[in-house]
Amino acid sequence: MSAALDPYSTRPGVTARHFLHALNPLAKIAGPLPFMVYLLFVRDIATPLAFACLALLLVTVGARLTPRLGIALWLGLPLVVGVLSLSFGLWTDASRVDHTPLLFQLGDYRFFLGAWLIGLATALRLGALLSLALIAGLTMTGPDLVRALVQHLHVPYRIGYTALAAYRFVPRFRHELDGIRHAHRVRGIAGGRGPLAALRRYLGYIVPLLVGAIRHAERVALAMDSRAFGAFETRTERYLVPLRARDWIFAAAFWVIGASVIVGTARLG
Amino acid sequence: MAAPDPALRLEDLRIRYDERAENAPNGVTFAVAPGEVVLLLGPSGSGKSTLALALNGLVPHALAATLSGSVSVNGIRTTDAPVSRLSQEVAMVFQDPDAQIVTGTVFDEVCFGPENLCLPVAEIEQRAERALRAVGLWERRFDNPDLLSGGGKQRLAIASALALDTPILVLDEPTANLDPAGIDDVYAVLSDIVAAGTHSIVLIEHNLDAAIDLVDRVVVLDRSGALAFDGPTRDVLAGNAHALAELGVWLPVATLAALRLNRGGVSLDPLPLTSGELTHALNGIRSLPDLPARAIEPPATAGPAVSVRHLTVTRRKITIVRDVSLEIGGGDFVTVIGTNGAGKTTLVQAMAGVVPPPRGTVSIGGLDPATSDARALADHVGFVFQNPEHQFLENTVFDELAHGLRVRRTRLSDAEIEVRVGEMLERFGLGQLRDVHPFLLSGGQKRRLSVGTALITRAPVLVLDEPTFGQDRERANELLSLLRELHASGTTVVTVTHDLQLVAEYASHVAVMHEGRLLAFGPTDEILSDGALLEVAGLVRPPLARALRGVTAHPSWQGVTRLADLPGGDA
Repeated sequence: MSAALDPYSTRPGVTARHFLHALNPLAKIAGPLPFMVYLLFVRDIATPLAFACLALLLVTVGARLTPRLGIALWLGLPLVVGVLSLSFGLWTDASRVDHTPLLFQLGDYRFFLGAWLIGLATALRLGALLSLALIAGLTMTGPDLVRALVQHLHVPYRIGYTALAAYRFVPRFRHELDGIRHAHRVRGIAGGRGPLAALRRYLGYIVPLLVGAIRHAERVALAMDSRAFGAFETRTERYLVPLRARDWIFAAAFWVIGASVIVGTARLG
Repeated sequence: MAAPDPALRLEDLRIRYDERAENAPNGVTFAVAPGEVVLLLGPSGSGKSTLALALNGLVPHALAATLSGSVSVNGIRTTDAPVSRLSQEVAMVFQDPDAQIVTGTVFDEVCFGPENLCLPVAEIEQRAERALRAVGLWERRFDNPDLLSGGGKQRLAIASALALDTPILVLDEPTANLDPAGIDDVYAVLSDIVAAGTHSIVLIEHNLDAAIDLVDRVVVLDRSGALAFDGPTRDVLAGNAHALAELGVWLPVATLAALRLNRGGVSLDPLPLTSGELTHALNGIRSLPDLPARAIEPPATAGPAVSVRHLTVTRRKITIVRDVSLEIGGGDFVTVIGTNGAGKTTLVQAMAGVVPPPRGTVSIGGLDPATSDARALADHVGFVFQNPEHQFLENTVFDELAHGLRVRRTRLSDAEIEVRVGEMLERFGLGQLRDVHPFLLSGGQKRRLSVGTALITRAPVLVLDEPTFGQDRERANELLSLLRELHASGTTVVTVTHDLQLVAEYASHVAVMHEGRLLAFGPTDEILSDGALLEVAGLVRPPLARALRGVTAHPSWQGVTRLADLPGGDA
C-alpha cells in the first residue's frame, strides 16, 4: 500500500528499464560527486567531453525522459556549449595563442583556433558538471532526498521536514509576487524607466513579500506544532529509502568507470 | 449525580502578548463537557483566537505571552505539558487552508500527525483512511492537496485533525476564507462529526447562519476580553440579542430580521435563530404590516461608467472570461458573484485595466485600458486589491496617499497635494497616523488606506476585489458602510464578493458569473429572487431571501431580500 501511495515513487511512464529512478538518491549523488570536484581542476577538452557523454548516455538509458527533454539534452546542451565556447574564447588573451591558425578576423580583432579551444574546454567543463548533476537531478525528488538524508546520514528530521514544508512556499510566493507586481503597476510607478528604476521597483516588492512570507511561515509553524511535529527524537517513516546492494554497485561502478575515463583521457592527452 | 469531568476547563484565564498592554482574554472561566459543542463569539480584539491557541498550549509555549489562571485539557494543565503532548488531546483547525498543508499528497498530509507520534505504520494508515473517509476525501488520497478546492483543503485540515484521535477539536474561523460552496462542504463534515458525538468541539465562527444548528452552547466574550454570556444557544442568542448586537457580535440574519420586525410592530417571540424558524414564525402571524416604501436609490447619472463588449480573456491557453458584454451605469453599486473559478476577479481586473483586456473590449470613462497607461487610467478608475499590503509603495501613510497624485501626468503643486491628502486622511480617520509606515497599521486601517489611495485621484469608478475576504464581520461592515457612503456621494462601485447577504444589503445591481460566462446582470432584487438562476450558478439564496421565500401566507413578503426592506427602521 505504501508504495502505491507514494506520490514520488510512481511517476508516469517510469518502468523497470529506467533503473536510475529506482536508486537511492544518495548513491546517485555519491557516484558522480568526486568527478564533479575533479572537473573543477582539469583544463583539457577530452576529460569533460568524456564525462559529459557518459552522463548523457546514462541519463538517456536509465531515466525517463520526455522527447522534449531528450532534445534539450542532446541538441540544446551541445548548442549552449558551442555558444559558450565562442564567447569564452573571445575573452582569451590573443597574444598567448597567436601561433595557432587564424579562424576569422573582424577589423583589428583576430580570433585564433587556440582561443576557441580554451573557450571550449571551459564550456565543456560546465556542460559536464551540469550533465553529471542531472543524473540525480532528473531522477529523484526533494522529498526522497530528504528521507534518504534523514534515514542514512542522520540529518535531524526536524530540519529535513521543515525544509520540505518550505518547499510548498514556492508556488505561494510566486502567486503573491504576481499580485504585488500587478498592484504596483496599477498604482503607477514613479521614477520612470531604466535599470535604476527597475531596481527600485524590485526593492519595492521585497517588503510586502517578506511581510507575507513571515506571516505565512508563522502560521505553518503553528499548524505543524499542533500536529505534534517534533514530539519525539524520531518519527515514523512510512517511506523507506533503503540503501540496497544495487546502490552500492551503482556508486562503485561509477567510480571505476570514471577513474578509467580519467586514465584513458590522460593517455590520449 | 456528579457531572462528568470536563474535557476542557478554563479558570480565570488571562493572556497578554508580550507586545501588548491589555489582557485578552481577560478573566475567562468556563468548561466544556465531553461531546459538547461550544461556539465562542466576541467582537474583534476580544481574544477569541488567542483563547483558541491557548487550548493546545501554543500560547504560551510557541507564542510569547504571559498567561495567568489556567487551562486544563482532560486534567492536564497546558503550562505543565509541551504542545506535542497536548496535541494528543486537542486537535486544531485554522482559518487559512494553505497554511496548514505540509506534504505532497492528501494521504501523506493526514499521516503527518500520527507519524510525528511515532505510531506503527499500519495504525497510521488505518487512521488516515478512517479520517479521509469521514471527510469524503478518500477517493482523492493520491492527489496533490493544491488540486483541492478551498473547501476541500479545509476538509483535509479537518481530516488531519481527526487522525490525531483527540477527544477535543478546536476550529478557529474554519470557513472565513471559503466561498459558499466551500462553507457548505465544511459544515456537512462538521455535522457528521457532531452527530457521531466523539469529540468535544470549540468553534470560533462568524457565520452563525451556518453554525447555529450544530451548537449546544454559546460563550461570548466582550470587547475587553471578559466573559459576557455563557449558556445554551437559544438562551444566549435569543435572550440577549440586543446586548449582543451592541457588543458588535454578529447575530444570525433571521434573528436580526426579527429584532427589526419587533421594532416595526411585528412581535416574534421567541426570537427565531434560523431561516426555517423565521419562515415558520411569520407564517403563523395572521396579518403583517405593509412593507415600507423602498428608499430611493441615488439616480444614475447619464451614460455608462464602464462598458464591456464581447470581452474574452485567455491566459495560458485557458479561457477564463468568455464573451462578456455589460454596461455599468454611472453611480451604480455593482457586485459580481459566482463560485470560485467563475471568472469574477479576471472580469473586474480586465475592466479596471489591471490585466490589459483585448483592444476595444472595455471602455471606462471613454478610455480603453488596453491602450492607455496606468497613470492616465488612474484618473478614471481606482482598484483595491484583496490584500491591501500588496499595493503599498511608500514609507508613510501621507506619501502613500500622495503617490497617486505625484505620478500623474498633470502635476499638482505641493500645496494642492497637501490639501487633497489632508482631506483623505480626515475622511478615513487616519489623520493621527500620517507619518506611520503603512505596514504598521492595523488590519482595518490598512484596508481604509488602500481604499483611500484608490480614491485620491478622484476617479469616478472604484473597483474592489473581494474586499471582505478573510475579515471578520465587524471589519467587513465598516468597509461596506464606507462603500455605501461613497456610492451615495455618486461614486460608481464595482466589487467581487462571495457573501450573498452582503450583496443583498448593499448592491444596486448584480452580475452573475458562471464558468467564465455572464449568466445574468440586473437589479439586485431580480437576481436574488431568481432561485433557478442562482442554482445554475452554483450559489445559494442568501438566508433572508431563503426565509421569506417560504412565507406563503403573505405573498407580498416573499420577494424581500434585504433587511432594510423590512418594517422597523434602523436601530
